[in-house]
Amino acid sequence: MRNFFSTPTAIVGTALLSIVCFAAIFGPFIAPYDPQAFDALNRLQGPSMAHWLGTDQFGRDLLSRILTGAPSTVAFGVGATVVGVGIGSIIGVVAGVSGGWVDSTIMRILDGLLAVPDLLFTLLIVTILGGGMEHAMLAVSIAFAPGMARISRSAVLSVRTRDYVRAAVARGESGFYIVRAEVLPNALSPIVVEATIRVSFAIMIGATLGFLGLGAQPPSTEWGLMVAEARQFMFRNPWCVAVPGLSIAIAALGFNLFGDALRDSLDPKRSHG
Amino acid sequence: MSRGYLIRRLLAVFLVLAIVTFAVFAITTMLPGNAAIMILGEYATPDAVAALERQLHLDQPWYTQYLSWVGGILHGDFGTSLRLSLPVTEVVGEAFANSAMLALTALVVVTITAIPLGALAAIKRGTAMDLGLGLFSYLGTALPEFVTATLLLVFFAAPQQGIFPAGGFVAPWESLTGFGAHVVLPAATLGLVLMAHVARQVRSEMSEVLSSDYIRAARLKGLSEKRVIRRHALPNSLAPAVAVISLDIGYLLGGIIVVEEIFAWPGLGRLLIYALENRDLPVIQAVTLLLATVYALSNLLSDIVIALLDPRVRYA
Amino acid sequence: MTAQTLMKDAPIAATEKSALSIIDYSLSYKTANGLIPALQNIDLTIPKGKTVGLVGESGSGKSSMAWSIMRYLPSNAVETGGAIRLAGEELLDYTPFQMMDIRGRRMSMVFQDPSTSLNPTIRLGEQIAEVLMRHRGLTKVQAFAEAEAALARTGITRPKEMLQRFPHEASGGEKQRVVIATAFACEPELIIFDEPTTALDILTARQILDLFNQLRDETNVSALYISHDLGLVSRVVDEVNVLHKGVIVERGAVDEVFRKPSAPYTRQLIGAVPNPDRWIGADAPAEPQTLVKLDKIGVHYGAPSRIQKMFWPEDADNVGFWGAKDVAFEVRRGELLGVVGESGSGKSTIAKVLAGLQDFEGRLEFDGKNVASRKAIDRAYRRRVQIVFQHPDASLNPRQKIGKILSRPLKLYGIVPRDQIKARIAELLEMVRLPAEFADRYPHELSGGQKQRVAIARAFAAEPELVICDEVTAALDVSVQAAVAELLVKLQKDTGAACVFITHDLNLIRQLAHRIAVMHHGKLVDFFDRADARSDDRDAYTKALLDAVPVHAAPQETASA
Repeated sequence: MRNFFSTPTAIVGTALLSIVCFAAIFGPFIAPYDPQAFDALNRLQGPSMAHWLGTDQFGRDLLSRILTGAPSTVAFGVGATVVGVGIGSIIGVVAGVSGGWVDSTIMRILDGLLAVPDLLFTLLIVTILGGGMEHAMLAVSIAFAPGMARISRSAVLSVRTRDYVRAAVARGESGFYIVRAEVLPNALSPIVVEATIRVSFAIMIGATLGFLGLGAQPPSTEWGLMVAEARQFMFRNPWCVAVPGLSIAIAALGFNLFGDALRDSLDPKRSHG
Repeated sequence: MSRGYLIRRLLAVFLVLAIVTFAVFAITTMLPGNAAIMILGEYATPDAVAALERQLHLDQPWYTQYLSWVGGILHGDFGTSLRLSLPVTEVVGEAFANSAMLALTALVVVTITAIPLGALAAIKRGTAMDLGLGLFSYLGTALPEFVTATLLLVFFAAPQQGIFPAGGFVAPWESLTGFGAHVVLPAATLGLVLMAHVARQVRSEMSEVLSSDYIRAARLKGLSEKRVIRRHALPNSLAPAVAVISLDIGYLLGGIIVVEEIFAWPGLGRLLIYALENRDLPVIQAVTLLLATVYALSNLLSDIVIALLDPRVRYA
Repeated sequence: MTAQTLMKDAPIAATEKSALSIIDYSLSYKTANGLIPALQNIDLTIPKGKTVGLVGESGSGKSSMAWSIMRYLPSNAVETGGAIRLAGEELLDYTPFQMMDIRGRRMSMVFQDPSTSLNPTIRLGEQIAEVLMRHRGLTKVQAFAEAEAALARTGITRPKEMLQRFPHEASGGEKQRVVIATAFACEPELIIFDEPTTALDILTARQILDLFNQLRDETNVSALYISHDLGLVSRVVDEVNVLHKGVIVERGAVDEVFRKPSAPYTRQLIGAVPNPDRWIGADAPAEPQTLVKLDKIGVHYGAPSRIQKMFWPEDADNVGFWGAKDVAFEVRRGELLGVVGESGSGKSTIAKVLAGLQDFEGRLEFDGKNVASRKAIDRAYRRRVQIVFQHPDASLNPRQKIGKILSRPLKLYGIVPRDQIKARIAELLEMVRLPAEFADRYPHELSGGQKQRVAIARAFAAEPELVICDEVTAALDVSVQAAVAELLVKLQKDTGAACVFITHDLNLIRQLAHRIAVMHHGKLVDFFDRADARSDDRDAYTKALLDAVPVHAAPQETASA
């Protein structure tokens, strides 16, 4: 961890992540305009001094809309991941620790669920639950759970055969102590790394759902929805699709790079490679 | 390749598919809304609804419904589309062919560009080219398909001066050039994400191989750099590359849903969204099952290819 | 001639006549903490047709020396001066492109681990033939014929068949023969052997060593033999150089160095080489009392499942393999019992059974009480039987401080009252000769030997009656090895605990153990008192093992051995 900032990945990742988090926390307060204010005279404008990122089809200020949309976008990604990682890790840890038929049964079911592509899985669940931000978030969590379960299981398995765990078994420690004190602390870092990277996927899937009309609903300033609403006008003002689109990319990129850097700094083998 | 290995893998695929049918059935029966009411409209008489429910076996317990559904599938009968009043096999079959053309085009492009790119980046580590590829691959993995697609449309399909059509489909047997023109943008959208990911994975596999003991040994034998790379390094990083591509087919299958919707490509993705909006249960079930089957089979295929590439797996 | 004058004269006289001469060569590595010197003012000469040994522990720079000669240095290497000459030609002046022509043709190398230095996806034949095609311009057919002949010279019985195999289809010894055949293929002037037997089993290592001697006599090649094992090197080289922290501290003829080591480091190194004639163990218990009794102990790895047994009962015995079968012996109170075997012999399996980490069949009796199965092992047994593992890096939880690690057995078994735990930890650390401050450190802040001491302290913290030591010295440097072994013996003496010491090192165990068990392919093949090691009724396998390991007498003892 000492040399975390020694790679460009870490520096750029941290920088992007800081920007995104800043926007997510302070965005609505520093937005120069009301994100819902129509301005019929200034529709579909390019960037100008008055509107730094231009305006959309109703003359609404794009920068203000991006800034007010940031909290929900980031919250969606982080929230969906936290819930998904939570569910998945519990399943994975249970499978990895129990072994035997419990493990095989869980793994076979997971194999089946993993054969359904993430987005398709999410779409099915969203359709069951009905659209809307909360439901979309829950759907992404559920879709993430099988993958996370598999990763946390393998993290647990790789720790389980280490000698210090064997030493604890040989000592006669209780199963609970072994899992809590010996296995989990050492299995945590791959799970955290994977979770960080998954936030970026969650953000992208959330935006995709918004785009398809299955996530956030108008007049929300969710970024995916903004792209969908502006699509009709994209040839007249490319800015109104490019700005929210690139915002999504920056947010996803930030989490992605940060997660990669985290992995490198936690894994001594990789950092020398 | 040992027969035992193949049989074990085949059995595993069947098991996965069995679980998938169950999962798909469970999810789709949880979908809100009564299918009978959906077909007959909200003002149908209760008697008519009950009659249709009987006809659709909706009055039976879930396990009977499940078994008859699976039994039908085994006979190649996926039921009848509730909205289109056509056999599901017919509806899905055509869409599947269209999607396959799109997906294969993307996959072929990805395979022939991403593997050499990734390998080259690993060989020329730290150079501008390597850095450029790194940047590109990070951007590629951070752009959702709908953003890439929209941006590509803005640049290449503007109403008057656009180079490519903004959407639609022409079958290759009707007009090969027409098909080509229509497939470029959707395939590029799908390919960009995959290319970024595959190239990055190949680069990291290749770097690992290049720093291995046997590559060092090959160099210390005085072999030419060309032979070290082509004969010693590349074959050893191909197997992992195939594994990455096969896993990415999962992304690809998810990606076509969005891409087909945006480019109005009449494939499985578009059909699925239509079916979801209209609660067309048999179609939803068939499309989901089909996509999962394709994914499972492509994984099986990649396992076989890997076994052919790597003698250690072959005899395991 | 003293070592001093030898060092001065050698380079000048050697330049023309020697196969390799290294003159005043220095090498450093650029790191985040500045330049770290790896080799300093190295002078080394290999006369034509001679073998020179380079001995050093890990980190001594011996591998750097090999890379320097092969001109295959990492990008952060900085050469700060000197010369490396192959038959008088300055290698430092050659371009990388020119070196490609020299490597494999005029100089070649044999590596430590044949399983990683052979390409897993290329048949062995091609891996030999490619060198011949590259450097001797042979056609494919010629090259394969020549490869077959080269393999035959290394004593492989069916060379033609071997050519068609992939590396994973050959044994470790066969693979190393392939690597050796490749190194000799172009009849080079110089071959560097970098620990060529370290990754191999005892008997295989012995065969490879014999092969090396035979090929050297046949081809008259000059060789640099790099090893950490002074005893082993003494059997193959004419002259030995001792490398310590990048400096050659001693050089001379093998017997000379062994008999009259001049540098303190060499003396320490020779002292640390296990010598079966120098007994360092505790006194044998006065009257033999049985502590543990194993009877017909068997461990079946990958045992058939119930379904397999139902459908294919006749195959049940062939599914998986027996890690141990019908093993029977007893451990007496207070004794040190050595269990010796090669890898896969089942010696570690027995350790796991005793430590309650492995399901087993058969009878296990502890202190007169029957232990029916692994599940029947209770905490009282687990307190009385402790285990120390081979790799100290892996056996200490990286996220716990040493104090926390040592406190666990104290708390778990209630060895001392809670308020005395801290004091007891300090005592334990002192007992294994570590400073008390180490309680606040994390494992990664300690060296390998220190970590192993902590692991030993943890085992003895439980005040056990039996301590199982599973290859506890194998991962350590020679000098550290000896210290850890002595520490164990002392603790055993002080506490009266019995010890099962599992090892592949026969010389070491003959210094420590009262009785020795020999295992082979999961079976106990021999069991004897240490005094009877050389007696005639030893099993043939025991005899082979004993013959395979070099014994070099320490200087203060007999020089004639």
